[in-house]
Amino acid sequence: MIEVSHLVKSYRDLKAVQDVSFKVEKGEIVGFLGPNGAGKTTTMRMITGVLPPTSGSVKVAGFDVFEQPLEVKRRIGYLPETPPVYVEMTVRAYLNFVAEIKGVSSKARKGEIERVSTKTNCDKFIQRVIGNLSKGQKQRVGLAQALLGDPEVLILDEPTVGLDPAQIIEVRELIKSLAGKHTIVLSTHILPEVVMTCQRVLIISQGKVVADDTLRGLQNAHAGAATADGHPGPAPSLEEIFLKLTSA
Amino acid sequence: MKNTIAIAKKEMNIYFATPIAWVVFTLFVLIGSYFFLQLLNSYELASLQYMRFNAPEMMNRLNFQDVIFRNLFGNLGVILIFLMPLLTMRLIAEEKNAKTIELLYSAPIKPGDIVFGKFLGALTVVSIALALTLIYPVLVQMVAKDAAGVEWRAVLLGYFGLWLLGAAYLAVGMFVSALTDSQAIAALVGFVLALLTWIIGWAAQQAEGSWRDTITYLAATSHLDAFSRGVVELKDIIYFLTLIIVGLFATHRAVEAHRWS
Repeated sequence: MIEVSHLVKSYRDLKAVQDVSFKVEKGEIVGFLGPNGAGKTTTMRMITGVLPPTSGSVKVAGFDVFEQPLEVKRRIGYLPETPPVYVEMTVRAYLNFVAEIKGVSSKARKGEIERVSTKTNCDKFIQRVIGNLSKGQKQRVGLAQALLGDPEVLILDEPTVGLDPAQIIEVRELIKSLAGKHTIVLSTHILPEVVMTCQRVLIISQGKVVADDTLRGLQNAHAGAATADGHPGPAPSLEEIFLKLTSA
Repeated sequence: MKNTIAIAKKEMNIYFATPIAWVVFTLFVLIGSYFFLQLLNSYELASLQYMRFNAPEMMNRLNFQDVIFRNLFGNLGVILIFLMPLLTMRLIAEEKNAKTIELLYSAPIKPGDIVFGKFLGALTVVSIALALTLIYPVLVQMVAKDAAGVEWRAVLLGYFGLWLLGAAYLAVGMFVSALTDSQAIAALVGFVLALLTWIIGWAAQQAEGSWRDTITYLAATSHLDAFSRGVVELKDIIYFLTLIIVGLFATHRAVEAHRWS
């Protein structure tokens, strides 16, 4: 569904992303990990067509982001690092605007707004002005916006940031419920979240992919030394693997 | 086109949800009314004087268009210099600053939709502001019983000229807004550029020959006046259209360049 090959992004003398390649199959949920400044957001921006890559290519559902950007953008729901909300508008007016530019037909718009706001629990404050909402509420509006139009691919940049523990669980359940039908790439710093929601883990560090495997596969690869009687060593936690791979 | 209208509607929504649109309307009508009353007063004074000195030929030459509306449109044009940057400063700079521009970049719309939609949204606010001042010619028409009345053709042409001037300032101001993420800088530079189209005309008085013609052409004043005198030529329309098209095109390039940076 998503095919990233040899992606490079450099800003003058800084190489933010260096030769990143990976594939995400349809219906997969991939956890995108890495320390701050590793190039997660930059990579996500290039997948969504927000940022043109210096070199390399991204294909979504067979369409090249650079050659046919509109075809790609029609299939992607994107929640950026900062929820892209207009603080002057009400939640309803905002979602209506996003539905319009995403090409949701005027007949389906009302139902669609209803659907995503119920799913993200935005329906309780849908009449309020976004500027007066709490951080967690804004984050949920951002998430609702990404779900509008039911896109096949969801790119979520730290979807649970700013949420309280109960809301984190809700969003986690929401993401799980989208599995199978949607292809999801989500970045996060909360490692247990990856363990609970994602089938695959992608770790990048200093602009390079350092791990791309299932959690089980990673644990096997980084398992401690086998004991004398042939039993495999203790399985390391994702935290340990993450620290080991990104400290280099 | 659907996307353009969606963006325009969103801009209008924000203009009216914030005080911006209301401030523009209030200032435009308030300052406009002040000028209108001054001009009305001077008309009254002139007609009184001509009557006292019994000068019917002067009296015949006195008309609303020359004494009131031509000057009024000039003055309204000056107000536009101050007010247009207020509308354009936020258009793109704010989206960059608040990172909402990522939503527009990741949506299935073209950069042209963004630029033109924003322009249309701001232009609608300007159109409403101009329409509010239509009260002046209507008032004059109502009180002018025996005089020839208002020359509506010239008045409406004058409004068309003002509308084009406002659109030109919007296009240029939006371009400045696309170059920065600071609204204050966008407003200030937009204001200076608009002011420049006005004060450059003063230099024409000292210039000679073809320089004089060139400078006069570059100034917005002469073109705006051509509209309110009712003697529009193609060159006047081309002047404003050039500013609009160049401004919009430059904005389009600046938005694209911002993505690449």
